[in-house]
Amino acid sequence: MSFIQLKNVSYKYPIGKGDVLKGINVKIEKGGFYALIGANGSGKTTFCNVLRGFVPHFYKGDLRGDVLIDGKDIREWEMGELAQKIGFVFQNPFTQISGVKETVFEEIAFGLENLGVDVDIIIQKVEEVIGLLGIDYLRDKNPQELSGGQKQRVALASIIVMEPEILVIDEPTSQLDPRGTEEIFKIIELMKLKGKTIILAEHKIELIAEKAEQILVFQDGEVVMQGTTEEILTDPQVLEYGAALPQYALLGLEMKKRNWEVGQIPLTEQQAITTVKGLSHPKGEQVCHS
Amino acid sequence: MKEKSNNLLLDLYPSTKFLITLFIIITVFIVKGYLYGYLMVPLCLLLALYAKVFKELLGLLIKTLLVLITFIFLIQSFFYPGDTILWSWSFLSLRQEGIDFSLLLTSRIGAIGSALLLFFRITSVKDIVYSLEQLGLPSKVTYVVLSTLTIIPEMKKLSMTIMDAQKTRGVETEGNLRVRAKAFLPTLTPLILTSVASTEERAITLEARAFTAPVKKTSLYRIEKTKKDTVVRILLLLLLIVIIVWRVAL
Repeated sequence: MSFIQLKNVSYKYPIGKGDVLKGINVKIEKGGFYALIGANGSGKTTFCNVLRGFVPHFYKGDLRGDVLIDGKDIREWEMGELAQKIGFVFQNPFTQISGVKETVFEEIAFGLENLGVDVDIIIQKVEEVIGLLGIDYLRDKNPQELSGGQKQRVALASIIVMEPEILVIDEPTSQLDPRGTEEIFKIIELMKLKGKTIILAEHKIELIAEKAEQILVFQDGEVVMQGTTEEILTDPQVLEYGAALPQYALLGLEMKKRNWEVGQIPLTEQQAITTVKGLSHPKGEQVCHS
Repeated sequence: MKEKSNNLLLDLYPSTKFLITLFIIITVFIVKGYLYGYLMVPLCLLLALYAKVFKELLGLLIKTLLVLITFIFLIQSFFYPGDTILWSWSFLSLRQEGIDFSLLLTSRIGAIGSALLLFFRITSVKDIVYSLEQLGLPSKVTYVVLSTLTIIPEMKKLSMTIMDAQKTRGVETEGNLRVRAKAFLPTLTPLILTSVASTEERAITLEARAFTAPVKKTSLYRIEKTKKDTVVRILLLLLLIVIIVWRVAL
């Protein structure tokens, strides 16, 4: 029995013309790190909404097939219950602020207040998360007056603090610079080490190649490929579906095309360096970079 | 936890502050004559001075109550029915009954108005909302009240962005009244539409933060009733009884 299971799921938005999701069959195991990739408008965000139960509880529309979370159908879950089980961080950081809190500290505490956690424990948990995300310098600021990137970090902190078993994260780094992005990925990795199940929609493919375990490729509302990161991100087929491959894999594929002996297609910077170092040029010269 | 300001009046629990206001409102109707009511205005100002909001309250009183009271006074003095004419000019005549009535009416309006304004000067909306929630008001209602406060500056910012965006598209937003009126629709429409659209995401945010979780919420922010509250409440009650007894005895 998988943790989350989608059986032949299709969905149409109430005022949409066609199906946004078409016949999706996906199994998600507990503790896994799943990345969703694909072009814009391929259904990643809608898929996230289905997992979190916003479809069909919030967006009505027409949902067919079975969505089982922990063996129970999504339609039978209460929205309030799901909040404790599945954390959800979405794209737009500007609306992910409660709007009733005066400081970032209180903003992060908002979810725990709603869950009725004791004040002493709230303070302790919020302190922990602030430390974890390195946002101590923001704690007394007004959440309305933060930059996009800062809001994105606060939004992630506000969800992580509630300690959900599953984290559904939809493009958490759209407003962040490369360093901020890397920090967010580190936090996500940390969450994975804590045994959380992670489902991440993201375009920054190099980081996905480094951190994710499983990849789902979306195109036009269908999951066209799924498998381990090594299988998917070294397959040139992905490019035809409108998603990207890491530049290191592209390099490997290009070398392979020219009949260079690369062996395993590299995925990460480290692997690429190893591959290139061990590479013998077709003519026999050693191509070596230090 | 709310920080103590070490100001007796400011540190009172919101409902105690409201009881002070309520006390003034009730007593102006019990005590005869206009003098008591008029005395309440400087009393409120005195309390404001103590709570360090004197300037704000005085400004508000002059801007709102003074205008209202002057207007009511003039209208009632001249048009209240009566026989004792003090002074007259063409169709206007100043009557003793009118003056008596307007003195009483304006003293009450002055007392009630300044008591209410004082209450809102010395109590933050956050505190009012907190105490209402403790009284059992649903958190959805208090959310609406609190979020409205943050939405207004947000919308102001948004309208600036929209104005700039429309300017780059060639909509004139500065100039004479006609030009401004013309720019009204192309700036207001996107403002309303954007605000409505962001409501949907705001609702999702609340869901994601377990706003609808079926448990009793806790609150980091806490205000507690102290002994001072009890003392003030008892004092107010005693005063009220004294005033009622005095009024009945007379």
